Amino acid sequence: MPAPPRPLPPVERWAGVRAGRARGIGWALCLVLAAALPGGGQPAPEDLTVISRAGRRPLPTVDVGGRTMVALTELLGPFGLRVGDDRQPGRLTLLRGPAVMVLTAGDGIVSVAGRLESLSSPPVERGGIWYVPIDFIGRALPLISDQPVELRSRSGLVIVGDVRVPQVVGRYQRMGRRSRLRLMVTPNVEPRIERAAGQLLVTFEADAVDLVMRDFAPDDLLRRVRVDDRRARLEVEVGDAFGSFAANSSPALGGSLEVVVDLRPAAARAAPPPAPDPRPAAEAEAGIEGEGADLPALADFAGPSTVSAIAIDAGHGGADAGTLGPEGTLEKDVTLGVARRLQAAIQRRLGLRVVLTRSGDVDVTLDERAAIANNNRADLFISLHANASMRATATGAEVFHLGPVEYDEPGDAPAGGERVPVVGGGTRRLDIVRWERAQLRFVDPSALWARTVAEELRARVPMSPRGVQQAPLRVLVGANMPAALVEMGFISNPGQEVQLASPAFQDAVVEALLQSIIRFRDMVEQGFPEEDDPLAEDPPADGSAPLREPLP
Amino acid sequence: MSGRAWLARIVFAAAALGGAWVLFVGLPRWFPDESPAVSTGGGDDRSAVGAQTVSTLYYVSGDGLRLVGVPRRLTRRANPTAQARAILEQQLADPPAPLISPIPPGTSLRAVYLTGDGDAFVDLTEEIALGHSGGSREELFTVYAVVNALTTNLAAVDAVQILVDGVEVDTLVGHVDLQRPLRQNLDLLEAPSDDWMPADDAPADPDRSS
Repeated sequence: MPAPPRPLPPVERWAGVRAGRARGIGWALCLVLAAALPGGGQPAPEDLTVISRAGRRPLPTVDVGGRTMVALTELLGPFGLRVGDDRQPGRLTLLRGPAVMVLTAGDGIVSVAGRLESLSSPPVERGGIWYVPIDFIGRALPLISDQPVELRSRSGLVIVGDVRVPQVVGRYQRMGRRSRLRLMVTPNVEPRIERAAGQLLVTFEADAVDLVMRDFAPDDLLRRVRVDDRRARLEVEVGDAFGSFAANSSPALGGSLEVVVDLRPAAARAAPPPAPDPRPAAEAEAGIEGEGADLPALADFAGPSTVSAIAIDAGHGGADAGTLGPEGTLEKDVTLGVARRLQAAIQRRLGLRVVLTRSGDVDVTLDERAAIANNNRADLFISLHANASMRATATGAEVFHLGPVEYDEPGDAPAGGERVPVVGGGTRRLDIVRWERAQLRFVDPSALWARTVAEELRARVPMSPRGVQQAPLRVLVGANMPAALVEMGFISNPGQEVQLASPAFQDAVVEALLQSIIRFRDMVEQGFPEEDDPLAEDPPADGSAPLREPLP
Repeated sequence: MSGRAWLARIVFAAAALGGAWVLFVGLPRWFPDESPAVSTGGGDDRSAVGAQTVSTLYYVSGDGLRLVGVPRRLTRRANPTAQARAILEQQLADPPAPLISPIPPGTSLRAVYLTGDGDAFVDLTEEIALGHSGGSREELFTVYAVVNALTTNLAAVDAVQILVDGVEVDTLVGHVDLQRPLRQNLDLLEAPSDDWMPADDAPADPDRSS
């Protein structure tokens, strides 16, 4: 039985396929809202929702010339902006304290406190009312606001100030009669999962939840997943065939938490004779238990579900030129050139998010570089360098990853923080990681990542006889994700100096790295091949994966 | 009975005396000291004055691909710290051809400290960073020449932290972590291995589904 329709709050957002009736209600609500709004215009398909300490409120959007926009009047009060006195046609000045923002109708560049910020489309003045594209909220407002402002356009949320709104990316996968719902929660916030009439309630200790469902097709086990905004809760509406569920969670790449909910049909319980539970007691303790005890082994859940953000570190920069070729080519210029090419290629061809640790000729300390990758939740880290040798003949690329030898000291403080009880029973490990031990958690995936990069490089550029090495390289130490450093070639070698500065060689390196990312992502998504499986050797005692847990 | 007991005692005493002679006189005579035994204190100082010991120093091979250990005869010093200083001063000096020094020219030793728990702090002048050619490979060679020179020759040293002009540094030239004492790395002495390469170029099969 599907849940009966119930009155929807005005800001309810639906994920996945909407039932026809629900869609009708949603549209009707939008129309009602739009009619009540100043500014008029066509109703846009989705309004935005502003979440702040003061609570939630809708932020209506309008369709202006085919673009989703927001009436500026909606933003003045909440962000403390006032309109300046120097009224000129086609020009608007906004003030907040001493800061000034200038908008020009028809010009996509807005000046904010002396900085120029480009918008996806120009502001529009219509009937005395100014409209701005919604990315104005994420790009221009943070520059003038005294508190953080974040626009999450995929989920239509505007997050203002210090509120906790974990992002949940959901994937649903049918596996024969059973199915699996994976929720990647970023940052790591443990949910409570309970069964209610016709649905599972996934409640987060947060101010709101931001849900994105990917590739969702409803079936007889799961009808839809939606957000109950008033409670920071997901409502997972189950289908007629649903019988029971089992849930488990574990930390994943990039500071996320992966929650896996297995859905089973009602009559299927009798079919496979339940094998004796092979899981050690500690493993059962680590997860969230739903009803039913025959949880699949944790190894089934091994691996975070994907790689979605890449941190690219252009080595050296600013006063630190790195090494120098005989003709004067600077390492810092080569690394930045390759970083920019790689950034463009990843964005264009893979559509992944890219984090650059530097985008210009500036000094960035080694630890800052790892921190930038961590804070931007990158899933993979690649540091670009050019090598040098006192022998001018030295040639070829080398790839480095961090070895455990220097950092994994038995005398060090426990790696995994402390165990705390969770709501709903059991305990879980609170994931506090010391800087010096961040990369240690990824020793095996990093080795695999480095080897993958070396293999792809080898197909395209000359390799050094020392192809892949372990070394205590500082930039990798604090990276909280699989990380490797590439020395692309020897700038001290006159022939290689010319190569390193050439677009053709740089493109070859970029292609190798691009293919490495694709291969590594596939391995992450589909499970590591047996011989490469970083989880295969030395499984920790609690059965969790070293990908996500500190070494024992 | 008592005759036998006496005989056993005499035999035992003779064996003990013989063993002691072998241990304290014979062995040192048969095997002149080549080991870097500097871990003990005053006891062997008197006998060691003017004696020599062999220490291994580390240089870059002629092809620039690895470190090479070269035994050198050094005068044995009164204590491990003095021995460490002697080893490092020799390590900073020019190597025999065709080897290359991994330490930038002009670098000198400011001080060396040994802690009681196996760490050594080696304070070098700024030339080690300023005169460095850069690159991960050379920086690894520079750092591990110093680290290996102490850890492989002195039993009292397990790990070495390099200071530059008296202060801790992140790295020399942007790569190798010097924020903590490093243990010896003998991999850099081995010929490069290609075991990272796949047996063939077939991509690994990601077919294992969960």
